[in-house]
Amino acid sequence: MTAITSLPRRAARFGGPTYDERNALVLIAPLATVLFAVAVFPILYSFYISLYGLKLTRPHRVPFVGLENYVTVLTDPQFWEAVGRTAAFSVMSVAAVAVIALLAALLLNEEFPGRRVLSAVLLVPWAIPYVANALMWKWIYDSNYGALNGLLYQLDFINSYMVWLGDADKTLALIANAFVWKEVPLAVILLLVGLKTIPADLYAAAKVDGANALQRFLHVTLPALKSSFALVIVYETMMAIRHFDLFFILTEGGPGDASHVVAWRIYVETFRNLNFGLGAAMSYILALATLALAYAVIRALAQRI
Amino acid sequence: MAGPSMADPTAAARAVRQARIRSRAGRVGRGLILLVASLVFLGYTLAPVVWLVSSSLQNEREIVSKPPHWIPHEPTLENFAAIFTAREKTVTYETRRAADPASGGFIPSTASNLLPALGNSLIVACAVVVLNLLVGVPSAYAMAKIRFRGRSASIYGILATRVIPDIALVVPFFLFIRNLGLLDSLWSLIITYLAVTVPFSVFILVSYFESLPDELDKAARVDGCSRWQTMTKVYVPLALPSLVAVMLFAFLASWNEFLLALMFTQTPKSQTLPIIVASFTSDFTISFSFINAAGVLAIVPPVLLALIFERYIVSGLTAGAVKG
Repeated sequence: MTAITSLPRRAARFGGPTYDERNALVLIAPLATVLFAVAVFPILYSFYISLYGLKLTRPHRVPFVGLENYVTVLTDPQFWEAVGRTAAFSVMSVAAVAVIALLAALLLNEEFPGRRVLSAVLLVPWAIPYVANALMWKWIYDSNYGALNGLLYQLDFINSYMVWLGDADKTLALIANAFVWKEVPLAVILLLVGLKTIPADLYAAAKVDGANALQRFLHVTLPALKSSFALVIVYETMMAIRHFDLFFILTEGGPGDASHVVAWRIYVETFRNLNFGLGAAMSYILALATLALAYAVIRALAQRI
Repeated sequence: MAGPSMADPTAAARAVRQARIRSRAGRVGRGLILLVASLVFLGYTLAPVVWLVSSSLQNEREIVSKPPHWIPHEPTLENFAAIFTAREKTVTYETRRAADPASGGFIPSTASNLLPALGNSLIVACAVVVLNLLVGVPSAYAMAKIRFRGRSASIYGILATRVIPDIALVVPFFLFIRNLGLLDSLWSLIITYLAVTVPFSVFILVSYFESLPDELDKAARVDGCSRWQTMTKVYVPLALPSLVAVMLFAFLASWNEFLLALMFTQTPKSQTLPIIVASFTSDFTISFSFINAAGVLAIVPPVLLALIFERYIVSGLTAGAVKG
């Protein structure tokens, strides 16, 4: 943010608030109030709750349990299985988003008639509500009348209709597919920003040096996209780890425990078992893990660039 | 170009012709690749949606055909009619049993909640848009144009609130909303959606305000404008594109939100469209064509907005990318 330093040095460095600082305070006050009440306070309150055995099934007895909720969560093998599923879902999804978005961004970076139409169409999955997306894929995956079965059957890939979401081996991948479909557009837009910053001279120079299309892609395009990719990977990983809507509508954690991810576990523990203390502890672990992961990825990429 | 010597005119002409043929072949090849890639892209992006729309236009008899009718043989608007007339009908076990499956009669008992939910979604989304502007614009202006201590820290601090997953905030959110007595009211959604959307709004606005020259600020202040007047009379009119982007993002985020609405709403009084649509998907006796029509109803407003304001959305999203 270069603009910050270019601002006129109006305010005094030390001493009490200047006239302008008081102005700024007034202008920022509404935002500060909202964010404090509905973001900062809940984050702190969440930690406080996680230290208590708050269960809505016995609202009048709320014992202080210290870190016991955290111990319960972290020593529960089912929690770690859920962590494994969340990790598998996230890795699958983010990898697929990165690859598909790169291909689409390369296409949309070319000049050709119809490109404008494609860029408009790109926004359709982005704009669709997750609930409608979930409903759409649930219908596509339907084992009796779904489009996936119909298509594969008509193309002779399968001899009879198959069970899709109900098959524990396929569930996570199918949910990831629905997630990827909706997340690709944003990633494409972010990658296109990176592609647009590559000067045409670089390609011309590489051509003169005798680099073929693949070499130009590997040695000019990909390195230039590094920071855009970093953004896509950090953002999409955060989205995948916290994702809830598709799990709720497509499978409710099933079949069996096949799609029982951490986000789903927090929901079940909190709103079905009404164990708020345990839910808050799990939430805190998830939030800290997300922060740590985002920080680690950004640090790692910042060092490489 | 090595090879034919330029002294030999026929050889030179031949070389030029060959180069031209090669470049024409290259152009055709490029065109073909682009065409195939475009078709794959269109298929991947649109096919699922087209199939949803197609199945919303089929009646209950047609929708269960094997293999599916990709294009409805007898397109019908009955499913949409059912949504818009659901209020007058009372659905009971008997009427559901008696309904002819072929006419798409299996409409759910909660079908009459669809239209009120649509209204709730609209009210919440519009309120969140207005509040985003009221809260976001002044603070973004202050952060972009007024120098004060802790300025850049506050920008990053605001964005950092969005790193925490919503699912991790549901417990404190729920208790907070319950203690305010706002459970099952639209206010619970408006307040929390505002907190969820406003960081990104401020971020877009700060980026945009920063790109406007500081001289405007000075000139207006020399002319005797207060900070407030400088903001409303000078910067807000110039920042219109970013305001449109902010309004769109706030609207779409509120229209599409599911998790928080699932926590806070309990009755049709406050339930939004995603909640009602989601409730259909867990009822296996409901006609697929009816559910699909409800799905189409939920995607039409956001998709239309996105297509109409494509330019603003892309510039808003890329503002984040360039800075971030």
